[in-house]
Amino acid sequence: MLAAAHESGAAVALLSGGTDLVPALRSGERVADAVVALRRVLELRVRGAGADSLTIGAGVTYADLVGWSLSPGLARAARVVGSVQIRNTGTVGGALGSVRPAGDLLTYLTAADAEVLTASPRGTRWRPLGQFLAEGVEADGLVTAVRLARPGGPQVHVKIGGRQAAYPAIVSCAVVVDRVRHRVACAIGGVGRLPARMGGAESFAVDEVDWTTGTIPVQAARRFGDLVVEAVAGISPVLPVGPGESADYRCHAAGVLASRALARCLHPQATRATQPATTTELATDAQPGTARPSDPTAGPGAAGRGGGS
Amino acid sequence: MTAAGESYQLYVDGFPRAVVGAELGDSLLSVLRDTLGVTSVKDACEQGRCGACSVLLDGRLAASCTVLAADADGARVVTVAGLGAVGLARAVRAMFLAEGAVQCGFCTPGFVVAVTDLLTRRPDADDEEIREALAGNICRCTGYGRILAAIRAVQRERGILPSLEESRARPDGG
Ligand SMILES: Cc1cc2nc3c(=O)[nH]c(=O)nc-3n(C[C@H](O)[C@H](O)[C@H](O)COP(=O)(O)OP(=O)(O)OC[C@H]3O[C@@H](n4cnc5c(N)ncnc54)[C@H](O)[C@@H]3O)c2cc1C
Repeated sequence: MLAAAHESGAAVALLSGGTDLVPALRSGERVADAVVALRRVLELRVRGAGADSLTIGAGVTYADLVGWSLSPGLARAARVVGSVQIRNTGTVGGALGSVRPAGDLLTYLTAADAEVLTASPRGTRWRPLGQFLAEGVEADGLVTAVRLARPGGPQVHVKIGGRQAAYPAIVSCAVVVDRVRHRVACAIGGVGRLPARMGGAESFAVDEVDWTTGTIPVQAARRFGDLVVEAVAGISPVLPVGPGESADYRCHAAGVLASRALARCLHPQATRATQPATTTELATDAQPGTARPSDPTAGPGAAGRGGGS
Repeated sequence: MTAAGESYQLYVDGFPRAVVGAELGDSLLSVLRDTLGVTSVKDACEQGRCGACSVLLDGRLAASCTVLAADADGARVVTVAGLGAVGLARAVRAMFLAEGAVQCGFCTPGFVVAVTDLLTRRPDADDEEIREALAGNICRCTGYGRILAAIRAVQRERGILPSLEESRARPDGG
Protein backbone atom coordinates (compact mmCIF):
# COMPACT_ATOMS: atom_id res chain seq x y z
CA MET A 1 0.00 0.00 0.00
CA LEU A 2 2.84 2.29 0.93
CA ALA A 3 4.66 1.45 -2.31
CA ALA A 4 1.51 1.95 -4.41
CA ALA A 5 0.85 5.32 -2.83
CA HIS A 6 4.47 6.27 -3.36
CA GLU A 7 4.40 5.23 -7.03
CA SER A 8 1.30 7.31 -7.65
CA GLY A 9 3.36 10.34 -6.70
CA ALA A 10 1.24 11.16 -3.66
CA ALA A 11 2.83 12.71 -0.58
CA VAL A 12 2.52 9.86 1.90
CA ALA A 13 3.05 10.27 5.64
CA LEU A 14 3.64 7.33 7.94
CA LEU A 15 1.70 7.63 11.17
CA SER A 16 2.59 5.85 14.40
CA GLY A 17 1.50 7.57 17.62
CA GLY A 18 1.01 10.95 15.99
CA THR A 19 2.62 13.03 18.77
CA ASP A 20 4.86 14.74 16.23
CA LEU A 21 2.93 14.23 13.00
CA VAL A 22 -0.63 15.22 13.97
CA PRO A 23 0.23 18.68 15.35
CA ALA A 24 2.44 19.21 12.27
CA LEU A 25 -0.41 18.27 9.90
CA ARG A 26 -2.79 20.54 11.78
CA SER A 27 -0.46 23.53 11.69
CA GLY A 28 0.35 22.96 8.02
CA GLU A 29 4.03 22.36 8.76
CA ARG A 30 3.57 18.93 7.13
CA VAL A 31 1.32 18.29 4.15
CA ALA A 32 0.15 14.81 3.15
CA ASP A 33 -2.15 13.44 0.44
CA ALA A 34 -2.35 10.15 2.25
CA VAL A 35 -1.55 8.78 5.67
CA VAL A 36 -0.49 5.20 6.28
CA ALA A 37 -1.43 4.40 9.86
CA LEU A 38 0.74 1.78 11.53
CA ARG A 39 -0.85 1.62 15.00
CA ARG A 40 -2.88 -1.47 14.19
CA VAL A 41 0.00 -3.43 12.70
CA LEU A 42 0.43 -5.79 15.62
CA GLU A 43 3.73 -7.21 14.33
CA LEU A 44 5.29 -3.80 14.96
CA ARG A 45 4.19 -3.77 18.57
CA VAL A 46 6.21 -6.72 19.84
CA ARG A 47 9.48 -6.71 21.69
CA GLY A 48 11.62 -9.72 22.24
CA ALA A 49 14.74 -10.97 23.92
CA GLY A 50 17.32 -13.27 22.33
CA ALA A 51 20.39 -14.76 23.99
CA ASP A 52 22.52 -11.69 23.25
CA SER A 53 20.18 -9.06 21.94
CA LEU A 54 16.89 -7.27 22.50
CA THR A 55 14.58 -6.40 19.62
CA ILE A 56 11.92 -3.71 19.87
CA GLY A 57 9.20 -3.23 17.26
CA ALA A 58 8.67 0.22 15.81
CA GLY A 59 5.15 0.38 17.24
CA VAL A 60 6.27 -0.12 20.85
CA THR A 61 5.40 2.96 22.94
CA TYR A 62 7.55 4.68 25.55
CA ALA A 63 5.03 3.52 28.17
CA ASP A 64 5.63 -0.09 27.08
CA LEU A 65 9.36 0.36 27.71
CA VAL A 66 9.23 2.21 31.03
CA GLY A 67 9.14 -0.90 33.19
CA TRP A 68 11.24 -3.17 31.00
CA SER A 69 13.66 -4.85 33.38
CA LEU A 70 15.73 -6.41 30.58
CA SER A 71 17.03 -2.99 29.62
CA PRO A 72 17.07 -0.55 32.53
CA GLY A 73 18.90 2.06 30.44
CA LEU A 74 16.29 1.99 27.71
CA ALA A 75 13.56 1.98 30.35
CA ARG A 76 15.11 5.08 31.91
CA ALA A 77 15.40 6.88 28.58
CA ALA A 78 11.72 6.11 27.87
CA ARG A 79 10.74 7.14 31.39
CA VAL A 80 12.00 10.69 30.98
CA VAL A 81 10.16 11.38 27.70
CA GLY A 82 7.37 13.98 27.85
CA SER A 83 4.28 13.28 29.97
CA VAL A 84 2.06 10.26 30.61
CA GLN A 85 0.02 11.34 27.57
CA ILE A 86 3.09 11.47 25.31
CA ARG A 87 4.59 8.24 26.65
CA ASN A 88 1.30 6.39 26.16
CA THR A 89 1.18 7.46 22.52
CA GLY A 90 4.69 8.12 21.18
CA THR A 91 6.59 5.21 19.68
CA VAL A 92 10.07 3.98 18.86
CA GLY A 93 9.35 4.17 15.12
CA GLY A 94 8.14 7.74 15.47
CA ALA A 95 11.30 8.73 17.34
CA LEU A 96 13.40 7.30 14.49
CA GLY A 97 11.16 9.01 11.95
CA SER A 98 11.27 12.41 13.62
CA VAL A 99 15.02 12.44 14.38
CA ARG A 100 14.83 15.17 17.02
CA PRO A 101 18.38 16.35 17.77
CA ALA A 102 18.14 15.74 21.52
CA GLY A 103 15.53 12.95 21.27
CA ASP A 104 15.98 10.72 24.29
CA LEU A 105 15.64 7.44 22.49
CA LEU A 106 17.99 8.50 19.71
CA THR A 107 20.71 9.49 22.18
CA TYR A 108 20.34 6.31 24.19
CA LEU A 109 20.30 4.07 21.09
CA THR A 110 23.39 5.85 19.77
CA ALA A 111 25.30 4.99 22.94
CA ALA A 112 23.93 1.44 22.84
CA ASP A 113 25.22 0.81 19.27
CA ALA A 114 21.70 -0.07 18.15
CA GLU A 115 20.79 -1.32 14.69
CA VAL A 116 17.68 -0.36 12.76
CA LEU A 117 15.57 -2.71 10.65
CA THR A 118 13.79 -1.11 7.71
CA ALA A 119 11.42 -2.70 5.20
CA SER A 120 10.66 -1.64 1.65
CA PRO A 121 9.39 -3.41 -1.50
CA ARG A 122 13.01 -4.47 -2.07
CA GLY A 123 13.13 -6.35 1.19
CA THR A 124 14.33 -5.77 4.72
CA ARG A 125 17.74 -4.75 5.98
CA TRP A 126 19.54 -4.05 9.24
CA ARG A 127 21.74 -0.98 9.39
CA PRO A 128 23.78 0.48 12.24
CA LEU A 129 21.85 3.43 13.70
CA GLY A 130 24.49 5.95 12.58
CA GLN A 131 24.24 4.76 8.98
CA PHE A 132 20.46 4.75 9.14
CA LEU A 133 20.42 8.32 10.46
CA ALA A 134 22.83 9.47 7.77
CA GLU A 135 20.92 7.80 4.93
CA GLY A 136 17.35 8.01 6.22
CA VAL A 137 14.50 5.63 5.52
CA GLU A 138 13.67 4.88 1.87
CA ALA A 139 10.81 6.96 0.48
CA ASP A 140 8.73 3.79 0.09
CA GLY A 141 10.01 2.12 3.25
CA LEU A 142 9.49 2.19 6.98
CA VAL A 143 11.29 1.38 10.20
CA THR A 144 10.07 -1.92 11.59
CA ALA A 145 12.37 -2.58 14.57
CA VAL A 146 15.53 -1.71 16.46
CA ARG A 147 17.98 -4.14 18.00
CA LEU A 148 20.55 -3.67 20.74
CA ALA A 149 22.82 -5.84 22.83
CA ARG A 150 21.65 -7.01 26.23
CA PRO A 151 23.15 -4.73 28.87
CA GLY A 152 26.56 -5.79 30.16
CA GLY A 153 26.81 -3.23 32.96
CA PRO A 154 25.39 0.03 34.26
CA GLN A 155 23.66 2.43 31.87
CA VAL A 156 22.55 5.97 32.64
CA HIS A 157 20.50 8.45 30.62
CA VAL A 158 20.26 12.10 31.70
CA LYS A 159 18.94 15.27 30.09
CA ILE A 160 18.61 18.97 30.65
CA GLY A 161 16.03 21.39 29.33
CA GLY A 162 12.78 23.18 30.06
CA ARG A 163 9.54 21.71 31.37
CA GLN A 164 10.04 18.11 30.40
CA ALA A 165 6.38 17.19 29.93
CA ALA A 166 6.03 19.93 27.34
CA TYR A 167 9.38 20.28 25.60
CA PRO A 168 12.01 17.82 24.44
CA ALA A 169 15.41 18.30 26.09
CA ILE A 170 18.04 20.81 24.99
CA VAL A 171 20.89 18.37 25.63
CA SER A 172 20.66 14.66 26.42
CA CYS A 173 23.40 12.21 27.32
CA ALA A 174 23.63 8.45 27.64
CA VAL A 175 26.52 6.46 29.07
CA VAL A 176 26.58 2.70 28.53
CA VAL A 177 29.21 0.64 30.33
CA ASP A 178 30.00 -2.94 29.35
CA ARG A 179 31.87 -4.58 32.21
CA VAL A 180 32.23 -7.82 30.30
CA ARG A 181 33.87 -6.39 27.18
CA HIS A 182 35.46 -3.44 29.03
CA ARG A 183 33.76 -0.74 26.99
CA VAL A 184 32.42 2.70 27.79
CA ALA A 185 30.12 4.42 25.31
CA CYS A 186 28.90 8.01 25.59
CA ALA A 187 26.44 9.75 23.27
CA ILE A 188 25.41 13.39 23.40
CA GLY A 189 22.20 14.65 21.77
CA GLY A 190 21.30 18.26 21.13
CA VAL A 191 24.70 19.58 20.11
CA GLY A 192 24.41 18.82 16.41
CA ARG A 193 21.71 17.69 14.03
CA LEU A 194 22.30 14.08 15.11
CA PRO A 195 23.50 12.57 18.38
CA ALA A 196 27.28 12.21 18.50
CA ARG A 197 29.54 9.61 20.09
CA MET A 198 32.35 10.92 22.27
CA GLY A 199 35.14 8.62 21.05
CA GLY A 200 38.04 10.42 22.74
CA ALA A 201 36.37 10.55 26.14
CA GLU A 202 35.30 6.92 25.78
CA SER A 203 38.83 5.57 25.21
CA PHE A 204 40.14 7.76 28.03
CA ALA A 205 37.53 6.27 30.39
CA VAL A 206 38.25 2.68 29.33
CA ASP A 207 41.89 3.13 30.42
CA GLU A 208 40.92 4.75 33.72
CA VAL A 209 38.27 2.29 34.90
CA ASP A 210 39.27 -0.29 37.49
CA TRP A 211 37.41 -3.11 35.78
CA THR A 212 37.54 -5.47 38.74
CA THR A 213 35.57 -3.06 40.94
CA GLY A 214 33.79 -1.12 38.20
CA THR A 215 34.95 2.22 39.61
CA ILE A 216 36.86 5.23 38.35
CA PRO A 217 38.98 7.84 40.16
CA VAL A 218 37.21 11.12 40.89
CA GLN A 219 39.64 13.18 38.79
CA ALA A 220 39.07 10.87 35.83
CA ALA A 221 35.31 11.36 35.97
CA ARG A 222 35.90 15.12 35.84
CA ARG A 223 38.40 14.85 33.03
CA PHE A 224 35.82 12.78 31.14
CA GLY A 225 33.45 15.77 31.23
CA ASP A 226 36.23 18.09 30.01
CA LEU A 227 36.99 15.80 27.08
CA VAL A 228 33.30 15.79 26.14
CA VAL A 229 33.26 19.60 26.22
CA GLU A 230 36.30 19.68 23.93
CA ALA A 231 34.70 17.24 21.50
CA VAL A 232 31.37 19.06 21.49
CA ALA A 233 33.10 22.41 20.88
CA GLY A 234 34.45 20.88 17.68
CA ILE A 235 30.99 20.06 16.37
CA SER A 236 29.74 22.91 14.21
CA PRO A 237 26.69 24.36 15.98
CA VAL A 238 24.04 23.90 13.31
CA LEU A 239 21.07 24.02 15.66
CA PRO A 240 18.99 27.15 16.06
CA VAL A 241 19.97 28.94 19.25
CA GLY A 242 17.56 30.53 21.70
CA PRO A 243 18.25 32.66 24.77
CA GLY A 244 18.58 29.66 27.06
CA GLU A 245 20.30 27.37 24.60
CA SER A 246 23.33 29.01 23.06
CA ALA A 247 26.08 26.84 21.63
CA ASP A 248 28.20 27.64 24.70
CA TYR A 249 25.43 26.54 27.02
CA ARG A 250 24.89 23.28 25.15
CA CYS A 251 28.60 22.61 25.28
CA HIS A 252 28.82 23.26 29.02
CA ALA A 253 25.67 21.20 29.68
CA ALA A 254 27.09 18.29 27.68
CA GLY A 255 30.17 18.20 29.92
CA VAL A 256 28.12 18.36 33.11
CA LEU A 257 25.74 15.64 31.97
CA ALA A 258 28.54 13.37 30.73
CA SER A 259 30.55 13.46 33.95
CA ARG A 260 27.37 13.02 35.98
CA ALA A 261 26.25 10.04 33.91
CA LEU A 262 29.69 8.46 34.09
CA ALA A 263 29.80 9.00 37.84
CA ARG A 264 26.47 7.25 38.26
CA CYS A 265 27.77 4.29 36.30
CA LEU A 266 31.24 4.06 37.80
CA HIS A 267 31.05 5.49 41.34
CA PRO A 268 34.11 7.75 41.44
CA GLN A 269 36.62 6.85 44.17
CA ALA A 270 38.83 9.40 45.92
CA THR A 271 41.65 6.90 45.73
CA ARG A 272 41.87 3.59 43.98
CA ALA A 273 41.10 1.92 47.30
CA THR A 274 38.44 -0.74 46.95
CA GLN A 275 35.61 0.94 48.81
CA PRO A 276 32.05 -0.08 48.18
CA ALA A 277 29.84 2.18 46.11
CA THR A 278 29.38 5.59 47.70
CA THR A 279 25.62 6.02 47.90
CA THR A 280 22.74 3.68 47.41
CA GLU A 281 21.21 5.94 44.78
CA LEU A 282 24.30 5.70 42.65
CA ALA A 283 24.69 2.02 43.33
CA THR A 284 21.19 1.07 42.27
CA ASP A 285 20.92 3.58 39.50
CA ALA A 286 21.18 1.38 36.49
CA GLN A 287 21.82 -2.14 37.63
CA PRO A 288 19.78 -4.61 35.62
CA GLY A 289 16.44 -5.34 37.20
CA THR A 290 16.40 -2.46 39.64
CA ALA A 291 14.71 0.24 37.60
CA ARG A 292 12.23 1.76 40.02
CA PRO A 293 9.76 3.93 38.16
CA SER A 294 8.38 5.40 41.34
CA ASP A 295 11.82 6.36 42.63
CA PRO A 296 11.70 10.16 42.80
CA THR A 297 15.41 10.39 42.04
CA ALA A 298 14.74 8.49 38.83
CA GLY A 299 11.77 10.58 37.81
CA PRO A 300 11.52 12.99 34.94
CA GLY A 301 10.96 15.85 37.36
CA ALA A 302 14.43 15.28 38.63
CA ALA A 303 15.84 14.78 35.16
CA GLY A 304 14.11 17.91 33.91
CA ARG A 305 15.86 19.96 36.54
CA GLY A 306 19.14 18.71 35.26
CA GLY A 307 19.55 15.06 36.03
CA GLY A 308 18.49 15.04 39.62
CA SER A 309 21.60 15.84 41.57
CA MET B 1 -5.28 4.48 4.50
CA THR B 2 -8.38 6.55 5.15
CA ALA B 3 -9.15 9.11 2.51
CA ALA B 4 -10.67 12.47 3.32
CA GLY B 5 -14.44 12.40 3.22
CA GLU B 6 -14.79 8.72 4.08
CA SER B 7 -16.84 8.03 7.18
CA TYR B 8 -15.74 6.19 10.26
CA GLN B 9 -17.06 5.54 13.73
CA LEU B 10 -15.93 6.44 17.21
CA TYR B 11 -17.41 5.20 20.50
CA VAL B 12 -17.61 8.40 22.50
CA ASP B 13 -18.54 7.97 26.15
CA GLY B 14 -20.21 4.68 25.30
CA PHE B 15 -22.21 5.81 22.29
CA PRO B 16 -21.39 5.03 18.65
CA ARG B 17 -20.89 8.27 16.74
CA ALA B 18 -20.48 8.35 12.97
CA VAL B 19 -17.93 10.83 11.70
CA VAL B 20 -18.79 12.07 8.23
CA GLY B 21 -17.01 14.67 6.17
CA ALA B 22 -13.98 15.21 8.38
CA GLU B 23 -10.66 16.06 6.74
CA LEU B 24 -7.93 13.44 6.61
CA GLY B 25 -5.60 15.53 8.77
CA ASP B 26 -8.16 16.26 11.49
CA SER B 27 -7.13 15.50 15.02
CA LEU B 28 -9.37 13.61 17.41
CA LEU B 29 -9.69 16.89 19.32
CA SER B 30 -11.08 18.80 16.35
CA VAL B 31 -13.45 15.97 15.39
CA LEU B 32 -14.76 15.68 18.96
CA ARG B 33 -15.36 19.42 19.25
CA ASP B 34 -16.20 20.61 15.74
CA THR B 35 -17.80 17.55 14.15
CA LEU B 36 -19.42 15.88 17.16
CA GLY B 37 -19.97 18.89 19.44
CA VAL B 38 -18.21 17.40 22.46
CA THR B 39 -16.94 20.72 23.84
CA SER B 40 -15.89 19.57 27.31
CA VAL B 41 -12.67 18.47 25.59
CA LYS B 42 -10.79 21.78 25.56
CA ASP B 43 -8.71 23.16 22.72
CA ALA B 44 -5.68 25.12 23.87
CA CYS B 45 -2.15 24.42 22.64
CA GLU B 46 -2.78 21.79 19.92
CA GLN B 47 0.77 20.57 20.47
CA GLY B 48 0.34 17.91 23.12
CA ARG B 49 1.75 20.18 25.81
CA CYS B 50 -1.09 21.43 27.98
CA GLY B 51 -3.33 18.39 28.57
CA ALA B 52 -6.59 20.37 28.28
CA CYS B 53 -7.77 17.93 25.58
CA SER B 54 -6.92 14.76 27.56
CA VAL B 55 -9.19 11.76 26.97
CA LEU B 56 -8.93 8.03 27.51
CA LEU B 57 -8.34 6.34 24.16
CA ASP B 58 -9.04 2.62 24.45
CA GLY B 59 -8.41 3.06 28.16
CA ARG B 60 -5.12 4.98 27.95
CA LEU B 61 -4.64 8.65 28.73
CA ALA B 62 -3.86 10.62 25.57
CA ALA B 63 -3.82 14.20 24.39
CA SER B 64 -6.54 14.11 21.73
CA CYS B 65 -4.80 16.86 19.74
CA THR B 66 -1.95 14.44 18.95
CA VAL B 67 -4.24 11.63 17.78
CA LEU B 68 -5.38 11.41 14.16
CA ALA B 69 -9.16 11.05 14.33
CA ALA B 70 -9.34 8.66 11.38
CA ASP B 71 -6.76 6.43 13.08
CA ALA B 72 -9.09 6.20 16.09
CA ASP B 73 -11.75 4.52 13.89
CA GLY B 74 -13.58 2.02 16.10
CA ALA B 75 -11.81 3.16 19.26
CA ARG B 76 -13.41 3.88 22.64
CA VAL B 77 -13.01 7.52 23.57
CA VAL B 78 -13.85 8.53 27.13
CA THR B 79 -14.15 12.22 28.02
CA VAL B 80 -14.89 13.74 31.41
CA ALA B 81 -18.60 13.18 30.76
CA GLY B 82 -18.14 9.44 30.22
CA LEU B 83 -16.09 8.67 33.30
CA GLY B 84 -19.22 7.72 35.23
CA ALA B 85 -21.63 9.21 37.74
CA VAL B 86 -20.55 7.01 40.63
CA GLY B 87 -17.38 5.67 42.15
CA LEU B 88 -13.95 7.16 41.63
CA ALA B 89 -14.87 9.69 38.95
CA ARG B 90 -17.68 11.07 41.08
CA ALA B 91 -15.32 11.42 44.03
CA VAL B 92 -12.72 13.20 41.90
CA ARG B 93 -15.27 15.70 40.59
CA ALA B 94 -16.75 16.30 44.05
CA MET B 95 -13.36 16.86 45.68
CA PHE B 96 -12.21 19.21 42.93
CA LEU B 97 -15.20 21.38 43.89
CA ALA B 98 -14.93 20.91 47.65
CA GLU B 99 -11.19 21.67 47.75
CA GLY B 100 -11.25 24.68 45.43
CA ALA B 101 -9.28 22.93 42.70
CA VAL B 102 -11.41 24.64 40.06
CA GLN B 103 -10.86 28.30 39.35
CA CYS B 104 -11.39 29.41 35.76
CA GLY B 105 -12.22 25.77 34.99
CA PHE B 106 -10.66 25.55 31.54
CA CYS B 107 -8.15 22.85 32.46
CA THR B 108 -10.56 20.99 34.74
CA PRO B 109 -12.03 18.41 32.32
CA GLY B 110 -8.53 17.34 31.27
CA PHE B 111 -7.37 17.21 34.87
CA VAL B 112 -10.36 15.16 36.00
CA VAL B 113 -9.67 12.62 33.24
CA ALA B 114 -5.95 12.50 34.10
CA VAL B 115 -6.54 12.24 37.86
CA THR B 116 -9.14 9.49 37.41
CA ASP B 117 -6.69 7.62 35.19
CA LEU B 118 -3.92 7.99 37.77
CA LEU B 119 -6.03 6.90 40.76
CA THR B 120 -7.37 3.93 38.79
CA ARG B 121 -3.83 2.74 38.11
CA ARG B 122 -2.24 3.91 41.38
CA PRO B 123 -4.87 4.44 44.09
CA ASP B 124 -2.25 5.21 46.75
CA ALA B 125 0.01 7.47 44.66
CA ASP B 126 2.14 9.78 46.82
CA ASP B 127 2.85 13.49 46.21
CA GLU B 128 5.85 12.85 44.00
CA GLU B 129 4.02 10.35 41.83
CA ILE B 130 0.92 12.56 41.60
CA ARG B 131 2.93 15.58 40.49
CA GLU B 132 4.82 13.53 37.96
CA ALA B 133 1.68 11.87 36.57
CA LEU B 134 -0.02 15.25 36.13
CA ALA B 135 2.97 16.97 34.54
CA GLY B 136 1.22 16.79 31.18
CA ASN B 137 -1.68 18.94 32.41
CA ILE B 138 -1.16 22.65 32.85
CA CYS B 139 -3.23 24.85 35.20
CA ARG B 140 -2.57 28.59 35.16
CA CYS B 141 -4.82 29.47 38.12
CA THR B 142 -4.42 27.19 41.09
CA GLY B 143 -0.69 26.69 41.34
CA TYR B 144 -1.58 22.96 41.64
CA GLY B 145 -1.78 23.03 45.47
CA ARG B 146 -5.58 22.79 45.53
CA ILE B 147 -5.53 20.06 42.89
CA LEU B 148 -3.13 18.03 45.00
CA ALA B 149 -5.37 18.65 48.03
CA ALA B 150 -8.39 17.40 46.05
CA ILE B 151 -6.56 14.19 45.16
CA ARG B 152 -5.55 13.64 48.79
CA ALA B 153 -9.21 14.19 49.78
CA VAL B 154 -10.31 11.53 47.28
CA GLN B 155 -7.76 9.13 48.75
CA ARG B 156 -9.07 9.87 52.26
CA GLU B 157 -12.68 9.43 51.20
CA ARG B 158 -11.85 6.09 49.69
CA GLY B 159 -10.01 4.94 52.81
CA ILE B 160 -6.60 4.88 51.15
CA LEU B 161 -5.31 7.68 53.37
CA PRO B 162 -6.44 8.06 56.99
CA SER B 163 -9.16 10.70 57.43
CA LEU B 164 -8.19 14.09 58.88
CA GLU B 165 -9.77 13.12 62.23
CA GLU B 166 -7.78 9.91 62.33
CA SER B 167 -4.51 11.63 61.57
CA ARG B 168 -5.22 14.30 64.22
CA ALA B 169 -5.97 11.57 66.77
CA ARG B 170 -2.51 10.14 66.11
CA PRO B 171 0.03 12.91 66.72
CA ASP B 172 2.76 11.02 64.85
CA GLY B 173 0.60 11.55 61.78
CA GLY B 174 0.83 7.80 61.15
C1 LIG C 1 4.56 17.66 24.35
C2 LIG C 1 5.64 16.78 23.79
C3 LIG C 1 6.73 16.43 24.57
C4 LIG C 1 7.73 15.63 24.05
N1 LIG C 1 8.79 15.30 24.85
C5 LIG C 1 9.77 14.53 24.37
C6 LIG C 1 10.88 14.19 25.19
O1 LIG C 1 10.96 14.56 26.36
N2 LIG C 1 11.87 13.42 24.64
C7 LIG C 1 11.80 12.99 23.35
O2 LIG C 1 12.72 12.31 22.92
N3 LIG C 1 10.75 13.27 22.55
C8 LIG C 1 9.75 14.04 23.03
N4 LIG C 1 8.69 14.35 22.23
C9 LIG C 1 8.70 13.90 20.83
C10 LIG C 1 7.85 12.71 20.44
O3 LIG C 1 7.04 12.21 21.42
C11 LIG C 1 8.72 11.61 19.86
O4 LIG C 1 9.46 12.06 18.78
C12 LIG C 1 7.88 10.36 19.50
O5 LIG C 1 8.71 9.24 19.63
C13 LIG C 1 7.25 10.34 18.14
O6 LIG C 1 6.57 9.10 18.01
P1 LIG C 1 5.11 8.96 17.39
O7 LIG C 1 4.79 7.53 17.40
O8 LIG C 1 4.18 9.87 18.07
O9 LIG C 1 5.43 9.48 15.92
P2 LIG C 1 4.52 10.13 14.80
O10 LIG C 1 4.13 11.50 15.19
O11 LIG C 1 3.46 9.19 14.39
O12 LIG C 1 5.60 10.21 13.64
C14 LIG C 1 6.76 11.00 13.77
C15 LIG C 1 7.55 10.99 12.45
O13 LIG C 1 8.07 9.70 12.19
C16 LIG C 1 7.53 9.17 10.99
N5 LIG C 1 7.28 7.75 11.26
C17 LIG C 1 6.36 7.23 12.11
N6 LIG C 1 6.47 5.90 12.17
C18 LIG C 1 7.49 5.55 11.34
C19 LIG C 1 8.09 4.30 10.97
N7 LIG C 1 7.66 3.13 11.48
N8 LIG C 1 9.12 4.33 10.09
C20 LIG C 1 9.57 5.52 9.59
N9 LIG C 1 9.05 6.72 9.91
C21 LIG C 1 8.02 6.74 10.77
C22 LIG C 1 6.30 9.99 10.71
O14 LIG C 1 6.00 10.04 9.33
C23 LIG C 1 6.70 11.34 11.25
O15 LIG C 1 7.51 12.03 10.34
C24 LIG C 1 7.66 15.15 22.72
C25 LIG C 1 6.56 15.49 21.93
C26 LIG C 1 5.54 16.27 22.45
C27 LIG C 1 4.37 16.61 21.59
